[in-house]
Parts: sequence; structure tokens; C-alpha cells
Amino acid sequence: MPPSAGRRGSGSADTEASLIARAQAGDVSAFERLSSWYADRLFMLLLRLLGDRGEAEDVAQEVMLRAWQGIARFRGQSSYFTWLYRIAVNEANRVLAKRARRPASVSIGARELQLPAAAAHDPSRQAENSELRRSLGEALAQLPPELRTAIVLRDVEGLSTQEAAEIAGIGQAAFKSRLHQARLRVRAAIGDETLIGIGG
Amino acid sequence: MGMPSSTDDHQWSQQHLSHYVEGDLRPRARRRLESHARNCADCGRGIRAMRALVHAVQGIDGLAGVRAPATIFDRVRLVGSGGSPSSQHT
Repeated sequence: MPPSAGRRGSGSADTEASLIARAQAGDVSAFERLSSWYADRLFMLLLRLLGDRGEAEDVAQEVMLRAWQGIARFRGQSSYFTWLYRIAVNEANRVLAKRARRPASVSIGARELQLPAAAAHDPSRQAENSELRRSLGEALAQLPPELRTAIVLRDVEGLSTQEAAEIAGIGQAAFKSRLHQARLRVRAAIGDETLIGIGG
Repeated sequence: MGMPSSTDDHQWSQQHLSHYVEGDLRPRARRRLESHARNCADCGRGIRAMRALVHAVQGIDGLAGVRAPATIFDRVRLVGSGGSPSSQHT
């Protein structure tokens, strides 16, 4: 894993640029080293988008394969992280679109979401948060993939609007519009009184 | 061109709650929304709910510490030994 921001291996012998160059020349180990810096975050993103560990594991392998197959065409117009995340979002959306054609659905991330540590000491807050967690998971699961992607990238992942829009492959204005729509739908599903209640 | 009506302000405010919470509105637009929300219970509640939602979504996810599976590069290893990435078909 590179330094905290997760972007560059400035403190190590291998810089991101040198690993990209080596990977583009066909060095698999350089590609693995470079991509492993982002593997955990990428896997978490897939879990959040797909809500199913088995599916996330399968898609994560596919993302890495596609990244390896496409790295010769990577021109550095975005960061490697952004490029890799974009492949992941596209793959996840492909799976979600396929899943939408099937009748059964998984509650996204509901099993993966955990209580904030501070709330865990108060049983009543714990119950409230547990209920909220379930409701949020269900509300997110009901969103169309493009709206779910927007809220996960911006609000859950905490990426900037610019980064999130780039990963989603749309302009910032369009991204903000999607984010607004996603928040409105989740807000409607949870209810203002519940939200304001937990907001204090 | 006249001043926007209260209905216009309300509809506009409802459409920009998320942008307001993001801090994306320009000062004039922010003032317009705040001025309207001071006298509109619906929009005032909307701002509080939107803020709480963003906070809840940020804080409730406990995936930190989740590790990628050890198998994540398996497919790359399968095809990678065959040659340079430029020789692969996408």
C-alpha cells in the first residue's frame, strides 16, 4: 500500500510512474505491485456497489485482468487510481445490469455495514443505528446503478466531486445531478424525521 | 424581468438542497436558498435531513480494514505469463 493518500509510492524504490512503465513493457510483477496498492480500496468499492462478497471477488479479478490487458493504452491523463476505479465501476455496473434482469436482489452492503464505535456503547442508539443501517442498505440497493455509483463514490468513499465524476465517466454537473437524485431517493426512503432524529 | 416568486424560490431550493449541503452554490445562490429556507419549514427540514443523510451514509459504513482476496491477481497471472499486455486482446 502506498502512503496514506494511496496515490504514490514516493517513499519506496518503485514510483508509480516507473511501475506503470514496467507494466506497460509487460512486467506482470510490476503491474501486481502497482495495483496491489489499490486492491483493498478497490475491493471495498466493489463490495459497496455489489453488496455480495462472492460477486465482488469475481469482479475484482476481472477488473485486474482488464486493467492488465489495457495498461498499454493507459496514457496518464488521469491518475492510475482513477483509471482503475473507473474499470471497477464499469464492471460492477455491468454485473448490476445483468442482476437487474433477474428477479432476486441482494441488500447492498447490509451485512458489511457496521456500527460506528461510539454508538456501540449505548443499546438504544445501537438498535436505532442497526435499523438505520438496514434501511440505508435497502435504500441504496433500490437505486439504479448510476445513482448508486454516485452516492457510493461521493458520500461513502468520500472522493471529491471531480474524481468521482471522472470515475463515473461523466462531467461534474451531470455527476452532481445524479448525486442529488440519489440523495433525494434515499432521503425519501428513510424519511426526514428518522434522518433528523439520528442527525441530532 | 421581475423577482422570482415564492413558488419559484421553493422549487429552485428543493432542487438545490444537495448542492447547498455540498457547499457548491455561489454566494448569491446560497443566500437565495437560505433566505427562502428561513421562512419555509419544508426546505428547512430538507436541509437538516439532507445533512443528516450525508453524515449517516459517511459514518455508517464499517468496511475499513477489509482486505482484497488473495486471488485478486489470479486471472492476470493466468494470461500475464504469455507476454506483454500490448499483445493481449481486450
